[in-house]
Amino acid sequence: MNPVLNLDTLRSCLEGILPAGLATCAPDGTPNVTYVSQLMYVDPEHVALSFQFFNKTRENILANPHATVLMMDPDTAARYRLSIRYLRTETAGPLFERMKATLAGIASHTGMAGVFRLRGADIYRVLAMETVPGRSLPPPVARAPLLPALRRSVDALSACRSLEHLIDTLTTCIERHFGIDHQMLLMADDAAQRLYIVASRGYASSGAGAEIPYGVGVIGVAAREQTPIRIIFPAAEYAYSRAIREQLEGGELADRLEASIPLPGLPEPSSQLAVPVRAGDRLMAVLYVESAQQCRFDYDMEDALVALCAMLGPCMCALQADSLEDDSPSPPHDHPVPDATAAPLRVHYFGRDGSVFLDDHYLIKGVAGSILRALLEDHLAQGRCEFSKCEMRLDPRLRLPEVVDNLDARLILLSRRLADRCAELRIEKAGRGRIRLVLARPVVLTAD
Amino acid sequence: MTPPTVLTPALADFVTSHLSIHIAASDDHGVATLVRGLGCRRDPATADRLRLLVAAPQAEPVLRALAANGRIAVVFSEPESHRTVQLKGHDAHRAERDPDDTALLSPYIDTLVVRLATVGTPEAFVRALLHCPAEALCIVRFTPDEVFGQTPGPQAEQRLAAGSALP
Repeated sequence: MNPVLNLDTLRSCLEGILPAGLATCAPDGTPNVTYVSQLMYVDPEHVALSFQFFNKTRENILANPHATVLMMDPDTAARYRLSIRYLRTETAGPLFERMKATLAGIASHTGMAGVFRLRGADIYRVLAMETVPGRSLPPPVARAPLLPALRRSVDALSACRSLEHLIDTLTTCIERHFGIDHQMLLMADDAAQRLYIVASRGYASSGAGAEIPYGVGVIGVAAREQTPIRIIFPAAEYAYSRAIREQLEGGELADRLEASIPLPGLPEPSSQLAVPVRAGDRLMAVLYVESAQQCRFDYDMEDALVALCAMLGPCMCALQADSLEDDSPSPPHDHPVPDATAAPLRVHYFGRDGSVFLDDHYLIKGVAGSILRALLEDHLAQGRCEFSKCEMRLDPRLRLPEVVDNLDARLILLSRRLADRCAELRIEKAGRGRIRLVLARPVVLTAD
Repeated sequence: MTPPTVLTPALADFVTSHLSIHIAASDDHGVATLVRGLGCRRDPATADRLRLLVAAPQAEPVLRALAANGRIAVVFSEPESHRTVQLKGHDAHRAERDPDDTALLSPYIDTLVVRLATVGTPEAFVRALLHCPAEALCIVRFTPDEVFGQTPGPQAEQRLAAGSALP
């Protein structure tokens, strides 16, 4: 294979921006030609074609696996012929889900929403590729290279000594080095099969604590399949807009929707990319970026963020287990005593789902809710304001999972949610491995 | 009785209305290849034949396969509506271009510029894609003997009866 002309350098032709042509041949020698909705990059030696309908093309490749694709570069109009050989069809799994999401974007881009339905991802080996002679346009002006952005980000992440610092550094890097304006980081709760937002940038509200079940939208599919999902055109069925909420509210997932914390997110994103963050086989989180601009995130951006998340996952895992040291000084402990004359803050805890309401307003549920209840209970009974993470890990009231407790992530979530919702109650760091409860009003705690 | 001609006036009007064209041929080893077409018109000498414009350097593998067996498949698509048909034939061969063929190229490209602009393709892109020096232009002539509706959807690639309405 030509060392210069390879699939890695032709990936822009495989974005689905322009349809490709596909020629197949029947056993009796009759050619067939059709347009391919989606031609997708799999690896340097394989492409996938969308299988949507049972038709002559399908019949031909099952009988005679040799075919030829004519594709073009969406920027330069350069044309390439790929000789390909059909290998197999995948009807589920990461590749299928990536193609399904991409196809949803292409369908909507080409006015074919409702017509295209992916039955399978047909995997082909690329046997040869050639440049078709002819005129082409100069390549577009190169954008800022991604490798320096990746390097700067990796350097910054590797210097982090606590999970919270890691999360904040990540969001800053995505914004500053990659120039991405809208992003969310969601931690995975594998036991509950859902993700919850711990950090976001670019939205009117942080959405800390808002949840997305595995399998729903770009983020949920990326989590379930543990594969990056990227869409470069508006795709209504994958946007976290009303459509998804309606799907959740009306369907069997209704009970899994936490409507109390609204999801942030662009109402109609034109580009979306969700990248799973893993440590070994374990899903730690999903990084999600989106844009109002079409084709904002290309294969190279996906590569860069996948590489960044490959470094982020093990860091997250290590720092969740134990912060190396607190790299930010803890605030001085000179908080005023709560104003005893002020009306008390009414905190109500529901043991059924760990949900907590402050003055009748929903705050949080699950482990984070149970943490707050335990802290307040001990504060009211013993007058304590400082707590160690070690003792919290052993506290049965917190309902922490035994194997992977995610305590640090829960505490970050709780502190951010409190920062969003309540000025009189917050938690903050109090030195290594310790947190402090800070109250500006007396508290009354009730539970059922 | 003579079989009804596949190339009805309505079909001929459609495929010669300056559509996006892809031409495929298969060699004697069962490998199909393809090239973009650069225009289509009825053959003035034989009414049920079509003449397709191609850029010879780009079409080289297609022309070689056609020379071997004459089997051809051609898909015509109207970009702005996705209306698409595929024609097949068994007698395709390279023909000499004449001045009327050469004269077709420029209006063909101009129309494609307008059609593809409706789906957001820039003019410079379309002109690069369809550019062909006159000396490189060559003609493929064939008689369509089958027609298939190929507008995207579950009914795509179903054979259309001669004279039936276009999809």
